[in-house]
Amino acid sequence: MMARLRRWLPDGRWAVIAPPYFWMLLFFAVPFLIALKISFSSIQIAMPPYTPLSEWSGDALAIKLNLKNYLFLLEDSLYIKAYLSSLKIAVIATFLCLLVGYPIAYAIARLPTASRNTALMLVVLPSWTSFLIRIYAWIGILKNNGLLNNFLIWTGLIDEPLKILHTPVAVYIGIVYAYLPFMILPLYTNLVKHDHRLLEAAYDLGCRPWQAFLRITLPLSKAGIIAGSMLVMIPVVGEFVIPELMGGADTLMIGNVLWKEFFNNRDWPVASAVAIVMLALLIVPILIFHHYQSKELEGRLA
Amino acid sequence: MAATASSVAASNGVAKSDAPIREDYVRIDDLTKEYDGFRAVDDVSLNIRKGEIFALLGASGCGKSTLLRCLAGFEKPTYGKIELDGVSIVEQAAYDRPINMMFQSYALFPHMTVEQNIGFGLKMAGHSGDRIRARVEEMLTLVQMNRFAKRKPHQLSGGQQQRVALARSLALSPKLLLLDEPMGALDKKLRSQMQLELVGIIERLGVTCVMVTHDQEEAMTMATRIAIMDAGKIRQIGTPDEIYEQPASKFVAQFIGSVNLIEGSIEDDEKDHVTIRSEVLEQPIFVGHGVTGFEGQAVAYALRPEKIKIEKDEPTQERNKARGTIEDIAYFGTHSVYHVRLATGKKLLVHFMNAKRWASERFTWNDTVWLSWGENAGVVLTS
Repeated sequence: MMARLRRWLPDGRWAVIAPPYFWMLLFFAVPFLIALKISFSSIQIAMPPYTPLSEWSGDALAIKLNLKNYLFLLEDSLYIKAYLSSLKIAVIATFLCLLVGYPIAYAIARLPTASRNTALMLVVLPSWTSFLIRIYAWIGILKNNGLLNNFLIWTGLIDEPLKILHTPVAVYIGIVYAYLPFMILPLYTNLVKHDHRLLEAAYDLGCRPWQAFLRITLPLSKAGIIAGSMLVMIPVVGEFVIPELMGGADTLMIGNVLWKEFFNNRDWPVASAVAIVMLALLIVPILIFHHYQSKELEGRLA
Repeated sequence: MAATASSVAASNGVAKSDAPIREDYVRIDDLTKEYDGFRAVDDVSLNIRKGEIFALLGASGCGKSTLLRCLAGFEKPTYGKIELDGVSIVEQAAYDRPINMMFQSYALFPHMTVEQNIGFGLKMAGHSGDRIRARVEEMLTLVQMNRFAKRKPHQLSGGQQQRVALARSLALSPKLLLLDEPMGALDKKLRSQMQLELVGIIERLGVTCVMVTHDQEEAMTMATRIAIMDAGKIRQIGTPDEIYEQPASKFVAQFIGSVNLIEGSIEDDEKDHVTIRSEVLEQPIFVGHGVTGFEGQAVAYALRPEKIKIEKDEPTQERNKARGTIEDIAYFGTHSVYHVRLATGKKLLVHFMNAKRWASERFTWNDTVWLSWGENAGVVLTS
């Protein structure tokens, strides 16, 4: 009897797993449900600026799900274009981060143990200053009479300033710069665990160093590549600040559309629908990420 | 001993050639490897015969692994020559050498199946898919792992992983096989079984093999010849019984097995016998053969514990006997080791086969016993 009772009483395990559950509930599930609810309502000029979902009329509870907002997203090609453009930018930026981040992570993992932490520190250090200040610094570097153009003109390589700021190139530079640590850290965590003797075994069996990299190191770092890519891609899809400040009129990202919908048009229901669809699109990569992360935890890949 | 087992021509067509055995199939000349002024391998020269299993035996840090890594091509010697089958290989990269290695704890590729691991070298060498499949099949049969072809390394036991590692290192038919602490990752019971099996496979294929180990039992069981290494230098090379019965120095005598070292000096140096006067024995040791030395020379007499006879009553022989009391007993089941304190204070170890079951048949603490040994029981060592 006591034993059965004890099973239902909270024990130490609850104290450990309750905080993260509570955190997820409060800061993910509840806001998500609120956004979901708003996405099914209609706009109205009031406070709050949307209609309630449920209504008492006499003795019947009427719940009205308004799908107009979602249909509206399909009607106006702006939204679909923005989603596709965001995905494209996220995929390309992720690939660029991988290209830049992999060699850095690899080099850090190969450093003597004592210098590794310093190197990792240097990777993380920039994020100690405000994100906005760093983006403005990049604007200062890339603008027409900025550091980069002045330097290139001074060296005589170019006569006229290159137009970089307010082009897609500037957006990629900003995103790769800002999200690089999220690529490097999981890659490093993976690469540092690699057993050097596996490479020796590969050389022993006739592999040249680059073949050994392609056949041993790269496949064994798959989990790190996926983790890093997801950590970069998922937030970049919804990125708002960088395209807003560094992109041009032609840079279309769903984060900016969302912002305009919310603050300029004050259309909370459509803005919520945009957010919900974005989340739905991201569920697929999130699931892939989760799948490999749990595999990694089980030690199947490493 | 397995090393003396007869070699059977392999069923897979790798027959042993009738050509005379090359004494210098692997030839290492004046090999030195320095790290920041520290000599890990110090001027080593040795020859390895074709088809033999050659063991480098020594404590950790003696340079045996560095020497093996020089052979594999993972370390570049500071200077010295290595020739394999008449070809200098020092300048060749590891991936160009016809040498394969079975790594300590195997270094199997965790993301590949057993057959992909075994076929890896063949794939790198650019063989066709059919060729690779056939050879992998052959290797799987050799190590009896056919049933596990599709498994990943983490799904295998330690012994199975070792078989795969062996198959992988043999798949390319290397001219020289290197084994780095081959039994290091196995538990004791499995170890002795795998030692014999490994030797069986290596001898069946007739592949020349250099192994590194710190385990003298392993070296004695598996190797045709053993090199004892210490501080980067080779102290002695010989067959297991040469190393054990005729150690060249006090170091080797003490390194292999246990030994009683009796320090003394040559008292009487004759052509057919010598006597050694020692402070720890009441009468001089009589050695039934001549030694290269001179009267008065300081020597050590190395006497293995199992060469000493222990009994209650005084033996009839006149020479080479001493009386003492049993101070300690270590019971090992098959035999017991008695620590016998002589009147001079010297302690001698004596092995006694426990041929009878009852403790009353054996000796016990504080028993006064007589020790005796034959005139050729020990070795006179000058260094």
